Amino acid sequence: MTLTATSFDWVRQLVHRESAIVLQPGKEYLVEARLLPMAQQRGLSGVSELVESVRSRPDAATNRRIVEALTTNETSWFRDGDPFTAFTGTVLPALVAARRPDVRLAIWSAACSSGQEPYTIAMLLSDAMPDAARRVSITATDLSQEMVERTRAGRFSQLEVNRGLPASMLVRHFTRAGNEWEISPALRRMVTATECNLAAPLPRMGPFDVVYLRNVLIYFDLATKQAILQRVRQLMRPDGWLFLGAAETTLGVDDNWERVVLGRGSAYRPRKGN
Amino acid sequence: MSELLSRVQEPIPNLLDPAIVQSIADDVWTSLVGDGEVLVPLPVPAPEVTVSAWVQITGPWCGAVVVTCDEPTAKALTECLLRARPPVVIEPEDVADALGELANVLGGNVKAALPGPSTLGLPETGPTPPATRPDDLCRVDAQWRGQYLTITVQGAVPAPHAERNEVPL
Amino acid sequence: MRALVIDDSRAMRRIVGSILEDFGYETRQAGHGREALDVLEEGYLPDLACVDWNMPVMDGLQFVSAVRSNPAYRSVTLMMVTTESEHGQIVRALAAGAHEYMIKPFTADAMRDKLALLGLLPQEVTL
Repeated sequence: MTLTATSFDWVRQLVHRESAIVLQPGKEYLVEARLLPMAQQRGLSGVSELVESVRSRPDAATNRRIVEALTTNETSWFRDGDPFTAFTGTVLPALVAARRPDVRLAIWSAACSSGQEPYTIAMLLSDAMPDAARRVSITATDLSQEMVERTRAGRFSQLEVNRGLPASMLVRHFTRAGNEWEISPALRRMVTATECNLAAPLPRMGPFDVVYLRNVLIYFDLATKQAILQRVRQLMRPDGWLFLGAAETTLGVDDNWERVVLGRGSAYRPRKGN
Repeated sequence: MSELLSRVQEPIPNLLDPAIVQSIADDVWTSLVGDGEVLVPLPVPAPEVTVSAWVQITGPWCGAVVVTCDEPTAKALTECLLRARPPVVIEPEDVADALGELANVLGGNVKAALPGPSTLGLPETGPTPPATRPDDLCRVDAQWRGQYLTITVQGAVPAPHAERNEVPL
Repeated sequence: MRALVIDDSRAMRRIVGSILEDFGYETRQAGHGREALDVLEEGYLPDLACVDWNMPVMDGLQFVSAVRSNPAYRSVTLMMVTTESEHGQIVRALAAGAHEYMIKPFTADAMRDKLALLGLLPQEVTL
């Protein structure tokens, strides 16, 4: 065990601040087990060294990886189901009605992690519209090259497919590949994955009809949040829809958004006249 | 099982990469044995007395998935599976049950990685069944908490019921 | 909420049972399908049954078929919890009437996700 009490405390406070999850004393082994690979990847000898390096040079992206490593084993497929219910129930029908059939709908999964979110969207689309592959394109981006590659591969471990993916969807859209599960080629073709750092100027993309930007803003300070929201808005169609994480909002951050209640959750739309 | 032994089957090394067995074991250890528990793929010398649990796979490939370790390790694994906190008394049946379930979960996932369809037998425990053909064997030598533990996927184990000299766990 | 955990392994019954209890369930256990049917026949109707596949006496698939063919048990949600993980096996279980399917090994988080999918998560729980 290389984890010092100070380092454990720092990690506890970070995780509590960003995710409201409390790591009880005695969970040192968990912090050690989950963060050691990240430390080793960076050529550091242990978790305390990792903590020291982030403390001396604060870095939102690393903070986010630390919190993710401690709060989730695997990303869930229908993580906080509301944004997906709202997508198929309200957003998709509205967009289909508003767009000409020859206009491709463009969807952006802006922190796609290992690909669960873009493929969840792809599955919902292919179940909702027979010509989904022709009518919709999904752009998946992540800061991490490793995550982008995993998204491109579209392969998931047994533990990953257990996380909130309905069995009926698993058998319909996946095949077994060794001890992993592989998404169908048709769905994989709907998703284009690239690296993208949201905290820096964005590449030319879009314009998007729907943006999923969930559980990203919480890791940044106010000024960066504002900058990200502004850049995202510039890549969206004026009647587009933005989904944030359950604990996130544009309220008090950026006035250029209008909050729309959709079922149990909400979405944000660019405010008219801006 | 005799008809299985006489039939020629594709040897397991052609069907299954030990890395797949290791990755199945990784998942089983973190989720079933406990958060932060890892099966380290470094061999240690085998203890003199070992116990095993296994499940049979019957299909295009016939054989068994066998977990082998020494008795104290089997007991420690049982404590983990049962999330037992001292002073819980672990009975021999508990150990047979837990080690058997470990073999069952490993076996089901190994089966899914093999050509099918196949069926999975119920877990059995006892002294380590011998591998009948050295070429029909896929082996992961590892350690858990520093102790010897192996997982083997081995062709057509002789029917354990035929041997009545089993020692209970 | 009430759950019936059906598995021939005591260790696994204990694991599944204690996860469900952490989510606020009251649980009962059965060692195979026949024993589980006895529990239902005696009038204990759970909201959820977690069903292993390979068990002695009566396997999980037979149990699922039996429950789904009896209208009196319509309120019981059936989730297979098993190491059987081929594509074809999952299709068979769903065709027999299982509502969900969880592959062993799984974590408590995975169980929470499945319960949420089924609308059977009693309260918002954070681990």
